[in-house]
Formats: sequence, structure tokens, C-alpha cells
Amino acid sequence: MITRKIQYQMAKRAVGPFLMALDRWQSAQKSRKRKPRETPFGPPLQSVQKLKEIMTLNYFEGRYADGAVPVAWVTSGFPAEVFFALGFHVVYPENHAALCSTRHKVPEIAEFAERDGLSRDVCSYARTDIGSVISGKTPVGRLPKPDMIACCTNICQTVLYWYRNLAEYLNVPLVLVDTPFMYGGTREHHLDYVSAQLGEVIEAAERISGRRMDAEKLARVVENARDGSRLWGECLAISQARPAPWTGIDTFFHIAPIVTIRGTETCNEYYRMLKDELTERVKAGVGGIKNEKHRLLWDNLPIWFKVREHSTMTAERGFNFVCATYSNAWAEAGDLIDPSHPLESAAKTYTYVYLNRDLDNRLKTTVDLAKSFGVDGAVLHSDRSCKPYSVGQVDVKERLQKDMNIRVLLLEADHADERSLSGEQAEMRLLAFMENFND
Amino acid sequence: MRKEYIDRQKREFGRKVVISLPIHYPKEILTALDVLCVELWGPPGEISGNQAGRIQTYVCPVVRKALAFIAGGHASEADALLFPHTCDSIQGLASLLPDFGGWNGPVLRFIHPKGERRASSEVYLVREIEAFIAQVETLTGKKLEPARLSSAVKLHAEIDALKLRILKLRRNIDMRDSELYAILRRGEWLWPEDHMAELKELASKISDKPQKKGVALMLSGIVPEPMDIFDVLENAGAFIVADDYAAIGRRISSSSAELPDNPLQAVIERYFALPPCSTRSSDLAGRVEYLTGLYSQNGAAGLVLHNVKFCEPEMFDVAMIKKRFAAMNSPVLYVETELEKQLSGQLSTRLEAFVEMASKGGESE
Ligand code: SF4
Ligand code: SF4
Repeated sequence: MITRKIQYQMAKRAVGPFLMALDRWQSAQKSRKRKPRETPFGPPLQSVQKLKEIMTLNYFEGRYADGAVPVAWVTSGFPAEVFFALGFHVVYPENHAALCSTRHKVPEIAEFAERDGLSRDVCSYARTDIGSVISGKTPVGRLPKPDMIACCTNICQTVLYWYRNLAEYLNVPLVLVDTPFMYGGTREHHLDYVSAQLGEVIEAAERISGRRMDAEKLARVVENARDGSRLWGECLAISQARPAPWTGIDTFFHIAPIVTIRGTETCNEYYRMLKDELTERVKAGVGGIKNEKHRLLWDNLPIWFKVREHSTMTAERGFNFVCATYSNAWAEAGDLIDPSHPLESAAKTYTYVYLNRDLDNRLKTTVDLAKSFGVDGAVLHSDRSCKPYSVGQVDVKERLQKDMNIRVLLLEADHADERSLSGEQAEMRLLAFMENFND
Repeated sequence: MRKEYIDRQKREFGRKVVISLPIHYPKEILTALDVLCVELWGPPGEISGNQAGRIQTYVCPVVRKALAFIAGGHASEADALLFPHTCDSIQGLASLLPDFGGWNGPVLRFIHPKGERRASSEVYLVREIEAFIAQVETLTGKKLEPARLSSAVKLHAEIDALKLRILKLRRNIDMRDSELYAILRRGEWLWPEDHMAELKELASKISDKPQKKGVALMLSGIVPEPMDIFDVLENAGAFIVADDYAAIGRRISSSSAELPDNPLQAVIERYFALPPCSTRSSDLAGRVEYLTGLYSQNGAAGLVLHNVKFCEPEMFDVAMIKKRFAAMNSPVLYVETELEKQLSGQLSTRLEAFVEMASKGGESE
């Protein structure tokens, strides 16, 4: 235990930062030697290096976390502030699965879960993480074994089926925050239920970690989470400028801190830095792509394993995804979080989540985004793996076309599993869609 | 026949009719407020009409068919739709139909708690059921009387007890499984007292000796569609000895005998005493334990996991169930159907081969 604690502190405070500094130096050397490549994008964001460091360090620390500090695996929509306040190391299996997909590791890893009897028709994030638990395979070296698994159903019910399996495979307790779906407004007893469950989660986390919740610390973490969420929203809103100083595809990567280290000072520092850089780019008229002719909205999860190809292909033709319902979802909470009432406000914040609300609200949010970012087209990713996000898109497509008079493409694919998508087919559809704009 | 029956319920008894999506909802409340509940599992067969394309083909057929049926105007006899909070797909449909068109009438919703029984979920369920009562009162214009609720609770507890007895002693009934299930499934749309009368008649056929011979199987899944699965199995030399269909066995509460006097509390207890179900996100280890118990208590010689294609809640439980049965050396067959009218030849052949294998105590497919 003591050795683990020393290893963890060394990784966090010395080895990790040293490796990051080394990486920074090597990158600088390489970019000095490298001739600038001709790309359809604007100059790369300087913040990217920092983002890479934060995320790499987070996974690096994680390798030494179990046995040193309590560890929780949580869903992306879980009120993880309670874990940060109790000093847990927090792992986000969804983020891990997305990383596996960008590194093209999903087919290899998910196959372990499939061989174990999990159908290929279920969410590919779930298959990837369960496959990773079974096989130990991961592109991040090692994931720390959790002391508990925490699931919040505000993004889907699927996460609960998935986390029930993780709890069985890993033989650890599962805590649940079940958030009743919102049709129209929410009801008092729904929020009371969520609040009561948060109390149960804190009790369980205290028991498992042997630590007591410090109210002041919780308030600080919650305040940071509120500020982080607002800062993230401000970064996104900067793309209302023409040209947008970054791309919607960039936002899929820069979302990582608000998802995984929400509530920490590191997260907020990062977004302050990013916001400053984006503001400067707007002042200087620098765009995320060189020649922004058309502005698009993206709906649903990214197609992680194709993100680069798709963004290059669209950028080459003057199309920029300037906003995305997916990235926006983490910016919506900012005004609901109240550090002086952390649990009550968390109940509301984590219930009023985009995917936990009815289609009327989804359409309204999409239309608002389309209007405020001045888009002239939208791509709705019909994601085989994500039924909650995809049901209703056929109607949303029609409404957007009719009410907003914009071009809309429904693009069938999968967010993580490249075996479910014929790459050429998706590319052909995107190309044909873009050609329409020349009419 | 079903349509005539429903019309008569409205005409003769002045009952409101609610069409309900699957699976779990407090039926006692509907009965106590004189509402006939008609469940929508299909209808079996090809999805037709131009509404079907409004949901992607990778979503389960129960939901796509419900959309085509309702938005196609076939639910006009209903006074309201009821959406229990079963899964992501039904949740989507519960918003799609009223928000984007296909149903303009009243909508009832019942968002049951997920996961294990906890202090928070007990309190929540009481309040959610109270909210449900308020919705049904608004629909019917009637006030729920405690005495009526008590009688409804008692009636449904009797129905449960009868069904439990029938399922437990089903070996002793000289009747084909397809006929037995047809009667059990009439509870999906009959007025509970009428259903009870049919169940009583069925129970009267229980003899004191086993009437069935062959390979005893347990079936688990969401809904036994297409129903000819029973004939295929029976013709191959099997009979069903234990049931874990969400539409049947998983809705029979074992609490009937010891329900509290307070009727609302009885509804709560009944809910928490239901067998484990993926759609309520019951504890996975507990579910596997329950299934192995059901299997051995009933002397089954094989398990058929009969799932609806694209049913996520159920698909996630399959791996653990298969593993546990494999460890017990019990044969397991996994099949998927799509609420088609009839089983395909290929699927029938797999089922026949499985019966033969199970008869020899063979390994899982
Ligand atoms: S991708 Fe969709 S189905 Fe999978 S966990 Fe996320 S929200 Fe749920
Ligand atoms: S079959 Fe499964 S996915 Fe479909 S409605 Fe029923 S529970 Fe939901």
C-alpha cells in the first residue's frame, strides 16, 4: 500500500511531468525540422500540446492509482464531483473506448467481449470496455482496477446494462444514479429521487474509501465544475464568428477535460488558455479551416475512427463543422450548478441533460444551435450503436429541412466500431451531400 | 375478435381503453379505475405503411412495429397510450409519437425505478405511482377509491397466484404449449376478471400426474413471438417446463400471499417482488442465480434464450447467463426473432437440432 502510494505520487508529481516535458521538447524539435505540410486547415491550435499532456498524464497517473487512492469508474454523465472531492482517481470508460477507436483498436479489443457472448448489436463503447477488462488490452498501458463502479442513466439506459456487466467482471460494487427521463418539464419527486441517490452514493463512496466528505471541498469542486462548464460553453460559442477559429471536429477532442476532469482547477486553466487562443484567432481572422465556404452542424457522437479523414475531406471543400450537439451537451449545465446547494443543484444539473430530455427539446436545441452558428447544412450521424441518440433523427432531419431550409444528411455509421461501417460508402455519401451545395 | 371485445368493453361497461407498450406498469391502478389495458407487442408480420421508416432498422421491431401501427391510425379505439419506461427505444418512441406526430391523444407515462431496491427507489416508486394515479384519474374523470384499489390488488394477486400454480404444474396439463401460452397471453388484453375466469378453467385441467413427455426446456426472452416456436419445439419432442419471458413469467409476482393491507403499499411490494428482469436492470448476479434456480427446480434439460433482435437490455445479460449455464454443463441455445409471423426454416432446424442435443444432455451451441 505504501509502495503504491509512493509510486502514485512519483508518477503524478515527478515522472509524469518529466515525461510530458520531454515530449514537449521532442515535439518542438520535430516541428522545427518538419517542413510545414499543405493542409486545408488553419494553423494548428497551440493548446493541443497542453491537451495532450493533461490527458496523457491523467491516464499515466491512473496506472499507479489502484492501491494508492480509491478508484471509481464512472459514466460520462455521472456527478463525479463527489468522487473528486473525496480524492478518488476517476476513470471514464467511455472516454477510454473513444480513445481505442481513434487508435483503431476496437475490432481487436471488442472481439474478446463478443467471443464471451456479447452481441455485436450492442453499443460499441460497451463491447470495447468489456473486451478490455477481459483481455487487459488497452492503448493506455493499464487501467487501474476500480474500488467501485458508478453509473448515471442520464445519457441512456444502456450504460446501466453495460456497468452491471463491468461490476460482475470486476467483482466490485455498483452505485447508481437513476435519472427519470424528462418529458417536458421535470417533476419534484424525480429531482428528490436523484438527490436521495446522490446521498446514497456519497455514503457508499465514504464507506469504500474510508474518507469523510468535506463540505467545503465539495463546494469548491462544484464551483470549479460550474466554471469549467461555462468556460467550455464560451470556447464553443466563439465559433459563431466567421470564419470559425476552430472546427467542430476539434471540439470532439478538446471536450476531454470537461468530461474527465470536470471540477478540477487543471480543467479550468486549460479552457481559459484555449479561450484566449481562440479569441486571438478571431481577432486575427484565422479560421479552423483555410477557406470556410459552408458551415455545418454535426449531430450525435463522432465517428471516432474516421474523424480525421472526414474533417480533411470536408475542409478541402470549404466545409466546416462549426457546432455539434454532442460537444454542446457539456456546456449546457453551467447555469444550473449552484455551489451553495451542491446536491440539490446537482440533481437538477444531471437530470436536465440533453439525452435525458424529450425530442421536442432536442429539436429546439438543434435549431437554436443551427441559428446561432449560422449553419447552412447539417449531418446527422445515425449511429447503429447508440439507439437513444439516434431514435427520432429521421423526423429531426425533416423538420430541419423544412423549418430551417437547410440541407441535411442522415449518415449511417457507428461511433467506435469500424467493422460496422463501409468507409467508402460513408465518404461517398458525404461527398454527394457536399456536391449538392453547388446547385 | 379482439376489436369486438374492446368495443364491447367501452359500450357495455363504459370503460376507457389504454394501449400500453411493454412491459412493467401498475395494472392494478388501471383496473381500479375501470380502464381496459391492451398491450401492444407487434403486431406480428411485416412492418407496413410509410410510418415504419421513421425509426432506423437497427432498433428493435417491437418499437418499430408499434410506431407503424399507432402512427398508421390503427390505435383509434384507444383513449390514451401508456409508455412504461422499459428501455431507451421505448423512451424514444414515447417522445417521438406525441412530439413529432402519429398520436394526438392523451399519453400516460410510468417511469419505474431501475436497479435494486434502495431506500431512495422505494420512496420514489410510491410517488411515481401516485403521479400515475393522478394521470389515470384525469383520463377517466374518476377518483380512485381505496376500496376499489384494494379489490384490484386482490384480483391481480389472485391472477398471479393462479398463473404461478399453472406454470409450476404445467407438466400435469394435457395441452399443447401453444394453446397454453395463447390463454396466458390473453391477459395482455382481456379485462382481468375475464382473464381470471379463463385461468380458472385452465387450472381445473391440472391433473395429479404428469401428462407431458419429452425433453423439458426452459425458455427465456422478452416475448414468445412468433408463437409457432412452441409447435416447432413440441413437434421435435420437447415441452416447456419453465418460463422466463418478460411478457409472462417475469410479470408474475411471488408476493401475492403476504401483501400488506395498505393497497398502495401492496402495489409497491408486488413490484419489488417481481422476478429479476433486464428491463428493470435487476442485479445481474441475482438474475443468473434466479434463472439457474428456476431451471433446476423444474428439472429442465436445456435453456433456449429467445431474444427479440436488437433488444439491448436482454442482449447484455446473455453472456453471463450463457457462461453460468455452460459451467453447469446445461445446454443453451440463443436465437433471435423479429416478431415475424412464422419461424424461418433455418431457425426451426436449429431448434430441432437443439432438442435432439438436449435429449442427449449435450453441450451448448
Ligand atoms: S454511445 Fe449511446 S448507447 Fe453507448 S453509452 Fe453512449 S449514449 Fe449510451
Ligand atoms: S424488445 Fe427490448 S428493446 Fe424492444 S421494446 Fe422490448 S425491451 Fe425495449
